[in-house]
Amino acid sequence: MMPNPLSRLRKGHMARRGGLAVGFLAFALAPIFVGSNVTTMGILTEAVIYALVVVSLNLLVGFAGLVSIGQAGFLAVGAYAAGYSANHLHLALPLELLLSGILAGLVGFILGLPSGRLRGHYLVIITLGFGLAVPQIALEATDITNGFTGLSISNTQFGPIVMNSPRAMYYFAFVVVAISMMLILLALASKSGRAIMAVRDSEAAALAMGIPVARTKVIVFTLSAFFCGIAGDLFAHFEGLVTPADFTLALSLFFLAAVIVGGLGSVGGSIVGALVLVYVQTRSASVGGYSEFIIGAAVVVVLMLFPEGLASIPALLGRRLHLTRGVAELPGPDAVEPGEVSSIIAGADPGEHQGGVNA
Amino acid sequence: MTLFFQLIVSGLGFGAVYALGAISLTVIFNTSNVVNFASASLSSAVALLMWLALVRLHLSVVLAWLFALVAAMVIGAVVEAAFLRRVERSSLIVQIVMTLGLLVAIEGLDGALYGFNPKTLPHVIHGPSIAIGSVFLDRNDAFILGLTLVLTLVLYLVYQRTRLGLALRAVASDRDVASLMGIQTQRMVSLSWAIGVLLAGVSAILIAPSISLTPTFMENVAVFAFAAAVLGGFGSLPGALVGGLLIGVMSNLISGYLSNNLQLTFVFLMILLVLYIRPNGLFGKRVMSRQ
Repeated sequence: MMPNPLSRLRKGHMARRGGLAVGFLAFALAPIFVGSNVTTMGILTEAVIYALVVVSLNLLVGFAGLVSIGQAGFLAVGAYAAGYSANHLHLALPLELLLSGILAGLVGFILGLPSGRLRGHYLVIITLGFGLAVPQIALEATDITNGFTGLSISNTQFGPIVMNSPRAMYYFAFVVVAISMMLILLALASKSGRAIMAVRDSEAAALAMGIPVARTKVIVFTLSAFFCGIAGDLFAHFEGLVTPADFTLALSLFFLAAVIVGGLGSVGGSIVGALVLVYVQTRSASVGGYSEFIIGAAVVVVLMLFPEGLASIPALLGRRLHLTRGVAELPGPDAVEPGEVSSIIAGADPGEHQGGVNA
Repeated sequence: MTLFFQLIVSGLGFGAVYALGAISLTVIFNTSNVVNFASASLSSAVALLMWLALVRLHLSVVLAWLFALVAAMVIGAVVEAAFLRRVERSSLIVQIVMTLGLLVAIEGLDGALYGFNPKTLPHVIHGPSIAIGSVFLDRNDAFILGLTLVLTLVLYLVYQRTRLGLALRAVASDRDVASLMGIQTQRMVSLSWAIGVLLAGVSAILIAPSISLTPTFMENVAVFAFAAAVLGGFGSLPGALVGGLLIGVMSNLISGYLSNNLQLTFVFLMILLVLYIRPNGLFGKRVMSRQ
């Protein structure tokens, strides 16, 4: 179908790298342009943290074709790890971030184990149960989580540097998220990254190529949870307080909406999706229900416009402009219409068909 | 031992509600192959309409029920026609995300219309508990259980004994073949969504008096209904009924002996375990996947 897939892929690569570099600079210089008052810095910091969550979720949904609505659960694991460390372990910040990621990754690994064998909607049900169970466990495990009251984090300190201003907090989150994104992009460009996408496109074909499908899915779950856990750690430092009420089903669904609106399988799109999400949330936070309605309706509209596949607006535009390579066209099980089959059969053996007419 | 039996009996009311939810999911899944993740918001919407009719408009109980039930069927048919039909031939992931988008949008819409502060809906039946030996069955729970059993039986008979049921089952087993046999498959899918939302709506109206009524109040209940449907193997009505009652009783035992907060965790672990051992549910048949 594509005349020269390799050159096109390279071109896409260059354009995407350019786009990401521009995005990186924009976020790095943002405090200069938008001012550094507490509210703006807060919104930006939240957006950066959410961007990592949305990208981590996109690993599952967009790159592996596994729908999860329990991402807030991983976020919670990372956040509580940060809170516990700040109150009891007093680890150095990089170690603490690593611990949060590893703990969440471990949970993701366990959750991913059955996912290799499950059909799509069963997996959604499992992640739904997971996302709702985590806050309940947090309420119950008061020794670790301090129950309903939650864990507070008083200061964020890396060696002699104390992140005590909104701007310092922003840059702290920005650096961690930028490093995480780089690692994610490297992972996606690796052999396992290509295996992940092969599994999404066709499990049967991936299996035939010798890709261990079940193991690949577990790897994606672990990776996704690891980075979401790191985002959770940042979330805890940013909020200063971690309570079970922070991690709702609505939050997980918002993350999924950001993935859908930003575009499946697009890291840049996910970042844009996270920005849109935070913008809508802050703009309509005072009016009950409107942000949910807007976000839910946005998902529905995107699906109504592109029912064939979730290429979504940015990806489609990009393909039209030859910026990105085609992503996330997931053929349904009924891709071949019954009529097509009969015409194929008729075409294959016209003699018999005619005979039938003559008789 | 009395506590044990008492916990079992008092879990039946909630179990029946979960069963209704699971049957709703099953009815919709059978014909349209869609797991209705929007169920929680749709059933909450029906319960809120019931509240509107009963508390705000002061309609009589019978009229309010009639209003809510008709509204539920209309909502089901409209949601199917307006949204799900658009993605009928799309991939599974698109269909799943569509129902999730509807879940968020409808909850938000209800939040904007009614607000998120909890409302109260009166119990359908009042009166003293019924004594069975040394344990007591709440009268309202007894009503819910009875109604659920009757509804399941009626639905089962319709499915097994009528031409309409035959058509619904035909669509469930193979939509294209059913279409070739002259069955109006589209109409059957609409009908199953109408019935599905009706049942989910009834479950919401029945359970709302026991918990607070908000646009999102069915989310937690829906998890138990999903678990019940998974136990029942996502396809059989008796399976969904048994699954719902089992989940209701077991989570009540957990609540009684361990902690109220661990019910969801227990249900989650159980689904995880069941699906790990039997990926198609406890009572489900093995299906080969083409992808």
